Amino acid sequence: MDFIYTFLSPGVLSQIFVGLSRTVILFIVASGLSLILGVLRIPNVFHGSLYMIGAFMAYTICSVVGGDAGFWLALIGAPIGVGLVSLATERGLFQYLYEREHIMLILFTFAISLVFGDLVKIVWGAEYKSVPVPQVFQGFVPLFGGLPFPRYNMFLLFMGPVVAIALWFLVNKTKIGKISQAAAVDREMVGAVGINVSWVFATVFVIGCFLAGLGGALVAPTVSVTLGMDHSLIIEAFLIVIMGGLGNIWGALLGALIFGLTQSLGILIWPQFGIVFPYLAVIVVLLFRPTGLLKSTW
Amino acid sequence: MLQVKSLTKTFGGFKAVNGANLDVKKGEIIAVIGPNGAGKTTLFNLITGILKPDSGQVFFKNEDITGLPPYIVCKKRISRSFQVVNVFQRRTVFENVQVSVLARENKTWNLFTPSKKLVIEETNRILESVGLIDKGDDISAALSHGDRKVLEIAMALGGNPEFLILDEPTAGMAAEETDRCIDLIKQLSEKMGLTILFCEHDMELVFSISDRIMVMVRGSTIIQGSCEEVRCNEAVQDAYLGGSDVCLM
Amino acid sequence: MVTKGRIGAYAGIIFLLALPLFFPRFYVYIASLILLYGLLATSLNFVLGFGGIYQFHHCVFYGAGAYGAALMLTKTGFSPWVGFIVGPLVAALLSLILGLICIRLSKLYFGMLQISLGSLVWAVIYRWYSLTGGDDGIHGISVPDMIASANGAYYFALIVTGLSFFIIFKILKSPFGSVLQGIRDNPIRSEMIGVNVKRHQLAALVISGFFAGVAGVLFVVVDTTVFPDMLFWTLSMEVMIMCLLGGWFTFMGPILGAALIVLLRTFISTYTVYWALFLGIVLMIIIFFLPNGVLGYFQEKFRPKKLVKG
Repeated sequence: MDFIYTFLSPGVLSQIFVGLSRTVILFIVASGLSLILGVLRIPNVFHGSLYMIGAFMAYTICSVVGGDAGFWLALIGAPIGVGLVSLATERGLFQYLYEREHIMLILFTFAISLVFGDLVKIVWGAEYKSVPVPQVFQGFVPLFGGLPFPRYNMFLLFMGPVVAIALWFLVNKTKIGKISQAAAVDREMVGAVGINVSWVFATVFVIGCFLAGLGGALVAPTVSVTLGMDHSLIIEAFLIVIMGGLGNIWGALLGALIFGLTQSLGILIWPQFGIVFPYLAVIVVLLFRPTGLLKSTW
Repeated sequence: MLQVKSLTKTFGGFKAVNGANLDVKKGEIIAVIGPNGAGKTTLFNLITGILKPDSGQVFFKNEDITGLPPYIVCKKRISRSFQVVNVFQRRTVFENVQVSVLARENKTWNLFTPSKKLVIEETNRILESVGLIDKGDDISAALSHGDRKVLEIAMALGGNPEFLILDEPTAGMAAEETDRCIDLIKQLSEKMGLTILFCEHDMELVFSISDRIMVMVRGSTIIQGSCEEVRCNEAVQDAYLGGSDVCLM
Repeated sequence: MVTKGRIGAYAGIIFLLALPLFFPRFYVYIASLILLYGLLATSLNFVLGFGGIYQFHHCVFYGAGAYGAALMLTKTGFSPWVGFIVGPLVAALLSLILGLICIRLSKLYFGMLQISLGSLVWAVIYRWYSLTGGDDGIHGISVPDMIASANGAYYFALIVTGLSFFIIFKILKSPFGSVLQGIRDNPIRSEMIGVNVKRHQLAALVISGFFAGVAGVLFVVVDTTVFPDMLFWTLSMEVMIMCLLGGWFTFMGPILGAALIVLLRTFISTYTVYWALFLGIVLMIIIFFLPNGVLGYFQEKFRPKKLVKG
């Protein structure tokens, strides 16, 4: 009992909560990636760049508008901006490449991520940017024996389920969701019944990228917004998607939970190598379930 | 030579092969017929180890080979061709067959002898026997469909088999290509003494070259017998022709 | 035709041998980099273009070879030459271990698991300050006097890469190479002609990892540093780009691709900081219009009979 008590000490619990709020960001970004992988079969490397662009856009909107209004506007505006960027990319480039091999698509999306990286450098410069936490979410709430927990992280914990439910609704209850599910399984069939598959794909792609932008906007107040923030995130997002099962939204949630929690608890157990634990988790999962925890759409 | 005993394979609740039985004697040509989706290709995949059966057994020369991986089945001198053309697209015709011969002679771990110095005669002999010798230097992706199907057979021969499985050898071939292929199969049986198991939709071909026929419907063996027995069997006519009045042949 | 090709080859070799006599130090350094990146890309292409294995994170073995050698050179008293041999062996061993774990999966899943394992190795090296110097890496590694100068390093790199290219080329032309290319084109067919596919793939991965490790050692000699970015996934992408740029299915393609990328980076970055933008655009154009790479394109164009469709 003593052991359990020490293990569930307030410090550990608050670390778990920090891990959970990290999970929310990972989930939002990874679910977008998973959606695109599941329906369009594109391993989208520049998904991370879009996340970064989302964060930079949030910075711009916040500094132009200012105050809490700026934050709320950024939360809507940045993802929409990212969505527009992705729409242009999809219509301009991707729609011609759907039949290519995965390895070509990966390199192509990597090429785009190189371009986006430099465009961000041109537009926003190479310096660190910081986005203020909005007034409403400043300060801490006491948690478990009075340990302070940032209000903004509470907001993130609230946003996770909201996005998950919205996605579930979108995929299962709307027409576009049902069509895209069918297209994921058999795109020729969907085309044969007279649906414009090309636009279905574009819509799904934009929704997925919108989520990357949303993740970027949400993370902006908690980190310093900078070039290169996309590099580690995209790998993490890919691992989450693979761990959860390609194209499975709930898989992305599960994967993000495992990833976020092993990360935060790992740091607690062995500070120097905490970064290693989530990777180990992925390896263990894939050793036992080579195609991911939940059913893949592939 | 080959016995298949109540072999069963299920894909997510669908019984692709359900209690198939087959008995092949040395030197015979046996045809497997049945409607589309009867499980013929699945049966071949089970025999050759590409799929592992859920239950049942496969014996080859009185040895249990059930569920052995394909590369070991091949070493027992069972070779096969595929229904969908399955050649090494980027390699030349010669190289396709040569790899097969090299694999049989266990030379695949040789890292430093140039391939072009090995097993040339054997490879050319096989190409000669199937009539592809003139096209040895062509990239196989550039061959006509018929030639690729023949190349399939040539690759199978590279393993120096005693037992040859052909999955729809003439599918998609033009008339004269089909004739050439029939001649080839007959030759393989007569001159090289191979035992051949094949499946085919072309009934004319089936009845003209096979010694015995096995009929599969919905994964199960209905009958195995001589051409006459099969032709006159009511169950076959019912199942195969959906009870129509058309007589087989 | 043959004699023409031969004269070209001799001219190339003489040019490479005489290069330090006519070019300043900086260019000799760049030439050494081209050689070692060429070897790295060729070692990747051995499994990617010729083996059809989606090795997404190849640089792990490059880094392992480099760190293996660097640690031997700085932390032990053995002769540096021993370190140069240990580096590639470490890379080959790592390749065997990662290969054993990943080989059960195919294509994209293989690649993703390989990237995650590679990232794990990266994370360990990045964090293990006491051994690897962490973020900073190890600088000023002293190599034997003979190969310490720019020219010495260049000739060392030239000999080692030349030898490595020769061996890789021999292997590709051997029965093992034939089987490997067969597996790329059609794994199931390969099994059915009696080839143990997974075991051959594993062997190919180990060979490929070994030569990536050799490239890593060469980097230590040429640059006298190691740093964790050598194992970061973006570099692996860059190496894949080298292969693609030159052409997957050709032997010389990756070397050409490596030369293009190194030269582009060196000369464009003197004019602008936005060289990645430029590279990205070039790459997009190549993928759109020349999916078989530059060399592959010319092969296809001048030998239409051989490659009618892919």
